[in-house]
Amino acid sequence: MTVTAKTPPRSETQSPATAEELAEIVARAAAAETALYPVGGGTGLNFGLPARRSGLSLSTTQLNRVVDYPARDMTITVEAGRSMQSLRELLATQGQRLPVDAPQADTATIGGVIATATSGPRRFGHGSIRDFVIGISAVDGRGVAFKAGGRVVKNVAGYDFCKLLTGSRGALAVITQVTLKLRPVAESTAWVVCDIASYEKAETVLAELVRSAIVPTAIELVAGPAWERDNLLGPASGCCAARLLVGVEGAAVEVAWMTRQLQREWREQGIADSQVIDASGAAELWSRLCEFPVESASGLTVKATVRPSAVTRFVAAARAIDERALIQSHAGNGIVYVRYPEFTANEALPVLVRGLQPAAVAAGGHAVVYQCPADLELTHQAVWGPAAPASAIMASVKKQFDPAGILNPGLSLFAC
Amino acid sequence: MIATRLPALVDRLRAVVGDDGVLSAHSDLVVYECDGFVIEKNCPDVAVFPRTAAQVQAIVRLCNEFDVPFLPRGAGTSLAGGCLPVGGGVMIVLTRMKEILEINLRDRYAVVQPGVVNVWLTQALKGTGYHYAPDPSSQGACTIGGNVATNSGGPHTLKYGVTVNHVLGVEAVLPDGTLVEFGGLSEDQPGLDLPGLIVGSEGTLAIVTKVWVRLTRDPQGWRTMLGIFESVADATNAISAIIGAGIVPAALEMMDQGILVAVEEAFRFGFPLDAQAILLIEVDGLEAGLDQQRDRIIELCRANNARDVRLAASAAERQLLWKCRKQAFGAVGRLSPSYCTQDGVVPRTKLPYILERIIDIGRRHEIRIVNVFHAGDGNIHPILLFDERDADQVRRVLAASGEILDECIACGGSVTGEHGIGVEKIEFMHKLFSAADLDVMARVRHSFNPAGRLSPAKMLPTAGACGLEQRHPGRRAAM
Ligand SMILES: Cc1cc2nc3c(=O)[nH]c(=O)nc-3n(C[C@H](O)[C@H](O)[C@H](O)COP(=O)(O)OP(=O)(O)OC[C@H]3O[C@@H](n4cnc5c(N)ncnc54)[C@H](O)[C@@H]3O)c2cc1C
Ligand SMILES: Cc1cc2nc3c(=O)[nH]c(=O)nc-3n(C[C@H](O)[C@H](O)[C@H](O)COP(=O)(O)OP(=O)(O)OC[C@H]3O[C@@H](n4cnc5c(N)ncnc54)[C@H](O)[C@@H]3O)c2cc1C
Repeated sequence: MTVTAKTPPRSETQSPATAEELAEIVARAAAAETALYPVGGGTGLNFGLPARRSGLSLSTTQLNRVVDYPARDMTITVEAGRSMQSLRELLATQGQRLPVDAPQADTATIGGVIATATSGPRRFGHGSIRDFVIGISAVDGRGVAFKAGGRVVKNVAGYDFCKLLTGSRGALAVITQVTLKLRPVAESTAWVVCDIASYEKAETVLAELVRSAIVPTAIELVAGPAWERDNLLGPASGCCAARLLVGVEGAAVEVAWMTRQLQREWREQGIADSQVIDASGAAELWSRLCEFPVESASGLTVKATVRPSAVTRFVAAARAIDERALIQSHAGNGIVYVRYPEFTANEALPVLVRGLQPAAVAAGGHAVVYQCPADLELTHQAVWGPAAPASAIMASVKKQFDPAGILNPGLSLFAC
Repeated sequence: MIATRLPALVDRLRAVVGDDGVLSAHSDLVVYECDGFVIEKNCPDVAVFPRTAAQVQAIVRLCNEFDVPFLPRGAGTSLAGGCLPVGGGVMIVLTRMKEILEINLRDRYAVVQPGVVNVWLTQALKGTGYHYAPDPSSQGACTIGGNVATNSGGPHTLKYGVTVNHVLGVEAVLPDGTLVEFGGLSEDQPGLDLPGLIVGSEGTLAIVTKVWVRLTRDPQGWRTMLGIFESVADATNAISAIIGAGIVPAALEMMDQGILVAVEEAFRFGFPLDAQAILLIEVDGLEAGLDQQRDRIIELCRANNARDVRLAASAAERQLLWKCRKQAFGAVGRLSPSYCTQDGVVPRTKLPYILERIIDIGRRHEIRIVNVFHAGDGNIHPILLFDERDADQVRRVLAASGEILDECIACGGSVTGEHGIGVEKIEFMHKLFSAADLDVMARVRHSFNPAGRLSPAKMLPTAGACGLEQRHPGRRAAM
């Protein structure tokens, strides 16, 4: 099946002010079998297959209260529609943070980040959003409000719906409230950056990093024209295949030690030149690397996840397809974003289906479309890659949460 | 099950796993009538010991064909009765699936069969610079399959998280006999986070036959401290102060005076027996930052009236301290003929309150209670001492346990931080969750386990019944 329309055909938006109101809307929609499209900040709606059914948008943005912030317990309970930025600012007042990166934080909501399991460079050191959600309240596709987990950092009572709903893309339930585990803000941060001549060398250096004495928070491998003339990083050295950026965080003494140590280790590996980016430059680099996947709305952006040791091979393959490819990789986790900024719809499909997806599978993983040209006709396989072996059980779980199939119909892998 | 069909089932099971893989004589099966929770007992009709996932599939299919309940078992160290074969049936014991299939340091993972004992993986990784982080106190006996099923924690969860934070994927046999992989080597697989759901599902959704686990870099160094306090309140205030100062210790454990006496008698570490509480505090990480954290912790303990803060002077001393902590439960045998270890959670800041309540509850029921627990996580393990030959004490221990768990709920906490619901705590599920919450959980179970033959009567109260009524308190000292 192919479809063309990119945005869900939504006739109106409902913005309930309470979880109870939200549950009533869902219950009514379920009775009428009206499709519902949950929306948080709306920053990440254009992925997956486009909606087929007309229906209502269900906005969570009015559900944005802080329910409880016992800072001494290092947990917070907030409603799902709160923006990531306002959450960040509130936590900072107590010297705390949720160490999960999300692009467009001023608009993106915590509910949306959880629903899409979004993460960024910090996930190497801190884990991803699933590791921080300890309690969740949601409304299922029948309009039934339910919860799981709790407000304490350790809890094994009942099924862990905090995990199940994370990354479920609004296809099981509408998340209304979450309790998060928090961390202290880091006193200091810096990046150590070097240019690497070949992909083979890059893999050697990445493999050495696994045994390094330092504890990186982020391991980013970037490549492509824009990265070669980046004003923060400076121009790349002549024969550079990729640039390696290692982010560290911690106490000032730790950060100072790690930057020195890593430069020392790299020198032993034959990398004579490396630079340390700290202070405001470091902060800018964190945010640049967090925003990169969404920086440009044009062309094709693919997110691949492969074995960490296969990252350089995959990057080389992606660049061989078209040398204008821009790459950012959370190399420590095997996550690679590939963007072909100028691709038209005609160019994108064969690259996906015959190029990147097989390359990702060969590298032990898979590739999904993150952004694509508006007029691209996508198939289920093109968006999600080959069917997951567990999709039958996923579909039966979906049926239990959403028997009428009204939540984000067609948008998810398992919810077509 | 209907006795007349049992021989036929046993024959068919033998055909799958061989003669030496099936136990059906009652005398052989008594071992399997309970796990670490000894209150409710019931023998399975058969115990089977598969060596491969294909054998597990074949066993499960036979159970469906014969319409008998079945359940997985690892080492049987569950403290919540997770391995109780309610209604009898077939117990699938996974201890012969005990291979570490792969260790890959470059990609930081290991693949293990479910019967691998937790500490074997630690041993296999020794010297590599990596380890598997979840380290339950029972790690010398419990299996990784059991850890996955119960989402095990341990003393180091404060900084490193629990089992679910370290599982990349599982291969499992579904209750209809299908073999599936959830998650795996590459992260962020499209679709639902089913590994996240399977971990902690207490064997009620699927039988895990293979696990991909994340390996964690060994810390460069440690500082292990012993804070000695004159009062429980001072100790718990120090915990809040340390966490509040933005320090995330690798471990933050508390022992009260009652348990100290037993531990000292067993291990002769040199604990001050008149201290009301001690904190075992460990920070780990880069050497460059450790002294600073150590100094700050010492300062915060002193500010909260610590009588003394001692530093483990050598690796050997650190190891001894950890041995004392991890084997503290065993030492309780010195205090009383029987004991019952509870497992509850409160917000960290409620620790002073809950410990006072525990003292009060113990006093009212005339039950001696000692405490050794994961203080940094707010995960309490009050140990209720009694003599199980005395019916009145037994009744009082049950009442006191229930009150303690009710207090945890009232504090906004939970009735289990790591041991699970099993059969032991089913009656508390109604107190933690609404009927709607439980209904959604039951629906999820139904989507995996529609016939309900996999581990019936666990974790979720069944409609109409309120779970097993507890007639007898916790477990014995022998572990
Ligand atoms: C494949 C992919 C592509 C992405 N593309 C972009 C992008 O182009 N630009 C960008 O900035 N970020 C993108 N992201 C990141 C991510 O979408 C956002 O960080 C996150 O969704 C932001 O939250 P939001 O409030 O804006 O969510 P929204 O964009 O409003 O929603 C995103 C998805 O989550 C669901 N959802 C939102 N809130 C809830 C809720 N409370 N309960 C249940 N479901 C909910 C929506 O139905 C929708 O499917 C992408 C992520 C993925 C996995
Ligand atoms: C002295 C002592 C100390 C303990 N300390 C801790 C601690 O610090 N932290 C902690 O979390 N727990 C602790 N426990 C509890 C217990 O050890 C853990 O729950 C452990 O994970 C159980 O592992 P096991 O192999 O013994 O599993 P079992 O007891 O055999 O089984 C436990 C549950 O898991 C299910 N199960 C087992 N294997 C599988 C499989 N392959 N697939 C699906 N389901 C399966 C069973 O059906 C059962 O429901 C302790 C127990 C004791 C006796």
